[in-house]
Order: sequence, then structure tokens, then C-alpha cells
Amino acid sequence: MKCKTLHKKIIFFLEEELPADEMEQMKYHLSVCNDCNAFAEEMAKMLAVLQTEKAPSVNPFFYTRLKAKIENLSNSKIRYNKNPFFVKILQPALFSVLLIAGIYSGIKIGQPISDRTSYYVDSEQEIIPYLNEMKNETIELFLME
Amino acid sequence: MNESEIIQKLKQGNEKAFRELVEKYQGMVVNTCFGMVHNTEDSEDIAQEVFIEVYRSIENFRADSKLSTWLYRIAVNRSLNFIRDNKRKKWAQSIEDVLKGKKVQLNKFESGNSQNPDSKLEDKQRAEMLHQAIDSLSENQRIAFTLNKYEDLSYKEISEVMELTVSSVESLIHRAKINLQKKLFKCYKKKCI
Ligand SMILES: [Zn+2]
Repeated sequence: MKCKTLHKKIIFFLEEELPADEMEQMKYHLSVCNDCNAFAEEMAKMLAVLQTEKAPSVNPFFYTRLKAKIENLSNSKIRYNKNPFFVKILQPALFSVLLIAGIYSGIKIGQPISDRTSYYVDSEQEIIPYLNEMKNETIELFLME
Repeated sequence: MNESEIIQKLKQGNEKAFRELVEKYQGMVVNTCFGMVHNTEDSEDIAQEVFIEVYRSIENFRADSKLSTWLYRIAVNRSLNFIRDNKRKKWAQSIEDVLKGKKVQLNKFESGNSQNPDSKLEDKQRAEMLHQAIDSLSENQRIAFTLNKYEDLSYKEISEVMELTVSSVESLIHRAKINLQKKLFKCYKKKCI
């Protein structure tokens, strides 16, 4: 067996996946070739890392952390749309306040001028004559100036 | 509680059943994620996402596959997403480093110190080399190899998780081993340990 052949099959040799006769040839080559033997040893150490890494111990607070995350997620979701206090009390109350405010301002705007205070009446009377004078000023006079 | 009882109770929103499920499978899920991403903290974070997905989508779980198969599938997919995101971030970071004129770190795979007598450090370097070799595999080779080596799943079980034929899994693992061997031999030649 050549060194190159061994290099191509070493992982299967270490995992004992080669046919019996090839396993024997590999073993023999390793017993007579120092270079290949050193390489096989290093490969074995490398693959052994897999065994040491297997089944790590899990953080004892794994479930506690998970539960907190799930609660956070569902809280942020329901905070605004599914919270019973918000849906059943605050939301209707807010709409009622807006509705009442709308109706009240509508009534106020729609009230006739005579019902209003004298302050408004006076100020309107001051404006009306001025507007009437504007009417008398023709466009010709305006352009002549 | 047996598996079908757990599933039934989970679908009813039973918290005790969820806790039981998590405690029974957390080791398996964390181990699978670790095999994929090689980092304890990251694998625990991904495992948490796996169980959140289980909690949210237990309704969609059909009894025709095993719970563990479903969990492996979610764990693998979540890990792959993490790896892809991480690659994108690393790429963006390396571009940033280049723009800022920082020296790009040499690949540890090729620059290990062969003179160091500390065996712990050697073990660490070995682990790092092995992880890099695993990372260089194609996605499917990586999944099949991880499930086989970290979780000791049979080719049949892997074929169920990956929804492939047993012979495809066999060939994936065979090619994965050949590729790892090549990488590790190259490294050995360069005396990176
Ligand atoms: Zn040799």
C-alpha cells in the first residue's frame, strides 16, 4: 500500500468502515511507516474532538429564560389589541369622549350670531361698513392709483 | 406523559406539557445546534428559538412523524438561518475592516502555532480546525454529518429529518468524510498543529 492510498482512506480506517482485508493492509502500513502513523494519530485526535463536544450540559435556567421570552413575545402582541382592559373600557371611553367633543363643538359652531356675546356682535359691525366701502371702489380707481 | 399525550396537551395550551417537552428535548436540540454552529451560547439561543417555534406552531404538527424528527428539522433550519445571517454579518464586517484599513485577520486554519507545548491549546486548535473543516462542507453534507456524529442518528433517521432517501444520506456522509479528510490532511501537511 502506498502512503497516498492510506491518506485517502484514513478516516474510514479510523471509523472501522473498511473491508477486513483493507483494514489489515492499513494496519500493516501504519506499523512500518512512521509518517503515516503520525498522521493517523493526529487524525484520531482530531476526530476525538467530536466525542468530547457531544451532549454539552445545558444551562440550568434554559426553561426559565425560554418562558420569559415567550411571555415577552405574547405580551407585546396583546398589549394593544387584546388587553381586556384596553378593549372593553379604555377604547369605548376614548371614542365616547371624542364623540361628545365633536357634537359639542358642532352645536357651538352652528349657533346663530344673535345668541353670541356682544363682543362678537360689535366686532362684526365694525367690519361690515369697511367691507361695504370696498364694494364702492371700482377696479378703474384701483388701477389709477 | 408519553409523546402523543404531550402533543395533545400542548395543543390545548398546557404549560406543564410544554415544560416537560422542553426538559426532555433541550439537550438534544442544543447539541444539534452546537454541531452546526460550534458555539455554546449561540446554540442555546438558537435552541430557544426552536422551542418558541414549537410553542407557536404545535397546531401544525401532524402525528405522522415523530416529535424528535420535527424538532431536529426545526433545529437544523434555525441553525442554517443563523449561519447564513452570520456569514452576511461577517462579510459586511470584513468590508468595513478593509474600508477602515484594518488588517484582515489571517485564517487560523492555516496559521496555527506548531511549537506550542500546551496540550489544552492544542485541543482548542484541533477543535477549531475541525469546526472550520465542517464549516467548509456543503449544507446537506454538514447536516447529515452533524446528525450522524453529534446525535448518533442512523442513516434512516437522518433520511427522515432531511426528507431524503437513505442512499442519498449515505452518499452525503461519505462525501463529507472525504472532504474533511482532505482539509485535515492539507492542514497537517502545513503543520498547523
Ligand atoms: Zn506511509
